[in-house]
Amino acid sequence: MTSKKNNRVTKTAAPSRGRFVNTGNGPTFQAIDIGHRDYAAVIDPDTAFWSLVARKKLADVMLDGDLPRAYAKKADQFAREMDSLRFGLTPSAVYFNPTERCNMNCTYCYIPAEMRREGKHMPEKKLLKALEILKQYFRTTMPKGEKPQIIFHGAEPLLNRYAVFAGIEEYGNDFLFGIQTNATLLDDAAVEFLTSRNVSIGISLDAPTARIANRTRKNWDGRGTFKPVLAAMRRLNGYDGWSVICTVTDANLQHLTRLVDFFHDQEVPMCLMNILRCTLPPSRSLKPGDAKAAKHFLAALDRTYELYRETGRRLPVGNFANILLAIIAPAARRLMCDISPCGGGRCFFALASNGDMFPCSEFIGLDRFRAGNLFKDDVPAVIGSEQFRMVTERKVENIEPCRRCAIRHFCGSPCPAEAHEMNGGMDKTGAFCEFYEEQVRYAFRVIADGKVDAYLWDGWDKGIKDTFNF
Amino acid sequence: MKAKKEKKEKKEVIAYRKGCNARGTGLSHYILMDRKAK
Repeated sequence: MTSKKNNRVTKTAAPSRGRFVNTGNGPTFQAIDIGHRDYAAVIDPDTAFWSLVARKKLADVMLDGDLPRAYAKKADQFAREMDSLRFGLTPSAVYFNPTERCNMNCTYCYIPAEMRREGKHMPEKKLLKALEILKQYFRTTMPKGEKPQIIFHGAEPLLNRYAVFAGIEEYGNDFLFGIQTNATLLDDAAVEFLTSRNVSIGISLDAPTARIANRTRKNWDGRGTFKPVLAAMRRLNGYDGWSVICTVTDANLQHLTRLVDFFHDQEVPMCLMNILRCTLPPSRSLKPGDAKAAKHFLAALDRTYELYRETGRRLPVGNFANILLAIIAPAARRLMCDISPCGGGRCFFALASNGDMFPCSEFIGLDRFRAGNLFKDDVPAVIGSEQFRMVTERKVENIEPCRRCAIRHFCGSPCPAEAHEMNGGMDKTGAFCEFYEEQVRYAFRVIADGKVDAYLWDGWDKGIKDTFNF
Repeated sequence: MKAKKEKKEKKEVIAYRKGCNARGTGLSHYILMDRKAK
């Protein structure tokens, strides 16, 4: 018997009782160095099962002992869990671009410049119609009582604020709304409107000082936007539902630790520190090396821990928290970039301002991935289209070296847009590898040292149950 | 002596896993803030 898509062969395939590790039907264990003095990790990559084993006892524990036997009893359950997570989900979110335009011209943006400069807004009537179509579609895919998410995304959604606000007002009971904005237009009235309706707000800032932040985030005249973003952060202070995204590039890498201090000082509830995507050529000029990126990123994570120890207040770095969750509670992960297949086209899709549909925002601007139009085509047909399947069928088992990598289900080999545009195909890796390796190794060290709670948000384990405890 | 005792208490194996209904919905350009850090 073979599980759905990951080629894991289960017990009935061969007359082996699975008595021995790494042969016959026995567990497949790979040992990895996690850079910890006392522990190494032992992983079954297919099921994302892991254990941390005292280095001195590694051979004994891994090859013959209670651990392989205890795991063998759970292996099929974990394989089903991964199958369900990787292949069983249906869309529950839409990244909705209400305009093509942006008032900024950030170096690394994945939306083509001419689109951001000359593009069109989606008219209010059309926006309301789109939300109605999506509401009807999600009724057929989502469990009763659960709300789908609409995230107004960009370009800069607040350039079309009256249409966006009309949509939130009209469909507030039908969706969980969020908005990702560069914050330059987030004035008092906008903050009041959004916070009073519990809209989740993400803003963007790359550095703790204007000099550094303005290197990459600037308007069409080349002027930076640090000041208005800082003003918006102050307006949002005290609201639980906001976060800040920092795009990590060669221009701000050395300042991440100071940025953590700055965010913590500003009482930012959560941040994302995303390594830049190299989908379009201009962004590649800012690509840092993997080792350098990892060094500074991990130092920033260390700083969040120190601040937590000093003040009792956390600053979770959402993208790292997601990797930590991927290890200790795979189904609890929120972000679907670091699982394979990624969430593009299967957990969410992106809507351009003319109604065109793409598997993910990262593909907006790449005509080859335009799969249909919300106003003209049947949504399920678009989701089953070849353009979407190019993304939803990209899986680590078909990518070298991911197919033999022990941490392939903690990293997920992001991102298909990068792989396709930068490296020449869906069976290629994205722009970074060692950067993700180091994050996973760091996450295992956090687990080894019993520090998990310091890196996650309060109540992260609500609704989560133990499925294995050795 | 104390350090020795602490060293002794280190587990030989740490292995646990937790489960829930999958809710993963997002891409890393945005995170839904429905849970706050404290």
